[in-house]
Amino acid sequence: MKTRFKTTLLLLLPFLTIICLFSGFIYFSISDYSHDDFFNLLRIRAITAAKAELDLTSESVIKESQDDFFERLPHERDHFFPILPEKTFEQEAEFLNVPLTFLDEVLRDGDAEYTNKNYFYKGIKYDSAQGEYIVIASAENYFELHHATYLKRILFFAIIASLIFSLIISFYFSKYVFRPITKITERVKQISSEHLNLRLDLESNNDEVNELSRTFNNMLDRIETSFETQNNFISNASHELRTPLTAIIGEADVTLSKIRSPLEYIETIKIVLDEAEKLDQKTKALLFLAQTGFNGKNQKFEEVRIDQLLWDVKETIEKINSKNKIHADTSLLPDNPAKLKVRGNDQLLHLALTNIINNACKYSDYRVVDVSIGASDDNVFIVVRDKGIGIPEEELKYIYHPFFRASNTKNYEGYGIGMPLTQNIIRMHKGEIIVSSLLNSGTTVEIKLPIGKF
Amino acid sequence: MKKTILVPTDFSIESLHVVKSLLSRAHEEELFNIILLSGVHLSDSITELLFFSRTSLIQSMSNRHFDEACMVIKNKFSSQINSMCKDIFTGATQSAFNNYVEANKIDKAYISTNYKLQMPSKKSFDILPYIKKSALLIDQVDWKVETRVTERGKLSAIFANSISSN
Repeated sequence: MKTRFKTTLLLLLPFLTIICLFSGFIYFSISDYSHDDFFNLLRIRAITAAKAELDLTSESVIKESQDDFFERLPHERDHFFPILPEKTFEQEAEFLNVPLTFLDEVLRDGDAEYTNKNYFYKGIKYDSAQGEYIVIASAENYFELHHATYLKRILFFAIIASLIFSLIISFYFSKYVFRPITKITERVKQISSEHLNLRLDLESNNDEVNELSRTFNNMLDRIETSFETQNNFISNASHELRTPLTAIIGEADVTLSKIRSPLEYIETIKIVLDEAEKLDQKTKALLFLAQTGFNGKNQKFEEVRIDQLLWDVKETIEKINSKNKIHADTSLLPDNPAKLKVRGNDQLLHLALTNIINNACKYSDYRVVDVSIGASDDNVFIVVRDKGIGIPEEELKYIYHPFFRASNTKNYEGYGIGMPLTQNIIRMHKGEIIVSSLLNSGTTVEIKLPIGKF
Repeated sequence: MKKTILVPTDFSIESLHVVKSLLSRAHEEELFNIILLSGVHLSDSITELLFFSRTSLIQSMSNRHFDEACMVIKNKFSSQINSMCKDIFTGATQSAFNNYVEANKIDKAYISTNYKLQMPSKKSFDILPYIKKSALLIDQVDWKVETRVTERGKLSAIFANSISSN
């Protein structure tokens, strides 16, 4: 409501200002024009009167014409004062009720104007046959008296009328503009965490409000997905953790049901140890995932040389399983080692790369995996290519979900934590990871890390 | 020894393999000026010609991945590359092309035998016939790559032909 009121006011104020300016301009220019016009009229009257009164030669003719053509102005009076040397006009000024300066100005310039309330005075110097005269014509300004007040009244009413009119317009305008927003607010109120499937209605046109609704819907999509992921994560995690626990409990139960030989106990404890180790690995991986998921508060970032890191990773992977074969491709390794320095955490990057390369080895049944390094001026690229089973195209977008495993990985061991963990780590380093894959033909993982400025 | 060479391109990463393989085969003391050339017909409209800008036209045809791949190659062979630039040929006649070759003092052209250049925009045309008809020395470069369909246009494609090397 507040914005609506503001909009109304915002529309009204400039409108009112414009109207007032407009009216003021009209009023003042008209009245200015009428003054000038009236003085001109007075001047003509003065000259005509002087001609009639003072030039005695053709008196009768002019008198006639004066009566014929000129209506007398309201309250018109004409005065004639002869100009004599050494004469001051104090008496005359008093008589006419005008200041002496007015008459002096007439004397000096031969032309002067004076206004007293509604009475206008025009004085001219007239050179007649009888000598020089000052001629003063005075009359009441009819326009000032009647037209101006009428104009004032008209303008005032016009302003009032347009004010009311614009008030109505701006009120309806603001109501019309804010109607979709009010609608959105009402709809959003209905969408709580239980009704995340609800969406805002989209209209066919492509205006800003529709854009807002679409953005809102997109956000809702993401929120819904993350809600679901969260729910899935918990159920998956508990399931993953329970499997080894169930195995341990079951094994122990069966063994304890009767007295057994030492050999059998050894066998049982071995199994228990095995399962416990698995459990340990899973919790460790989960812990890592949780830690890297935050903004990396505890990690120390230092200078890491990517080629060095890659050799370490290669060694580690070959140690884990002697069947793993890695071909390090240096055909695009830059000459300048400064282009290979990245600001990052050595252990985490090691973990991420090990994960990727280990996956490549595992899912390609120990065929040769190519690992290439290259660097542009801003980024280091690590490309890992394998000729393995690939990832089905429609499942590619889920590989970063915790515990997700592609449908063709049934024969391979794994928990589905590696990829999300790797993604977290790469994100922490402000890098990018792109996976492209073709089913049964192989997978390519491209990791891009920004070069650190040292 | 400085050499200016011409490589026809369609602004795809695959076309850069020619550069990569020719550089890896070249002697270490050789220094190259590389011109990556693509043919584009100019518009007939006067208004378009009035606002014609060579740089922005090249910019619009090129893409981020291509530039990045160029940089990767530049960094790798930094001691062998004196300069590497993208350019467009806008002429329509053989003599125009010959003039271009002369003006840029091009010594040699390198053509891929197994990659067919695509047309990056509607106004593009193939400059291979011009190259073949000109007096330029032509070197055919062949390379075996196994790029998967999914890798096309992505930067990882530039790393691809390593597979054939083992």
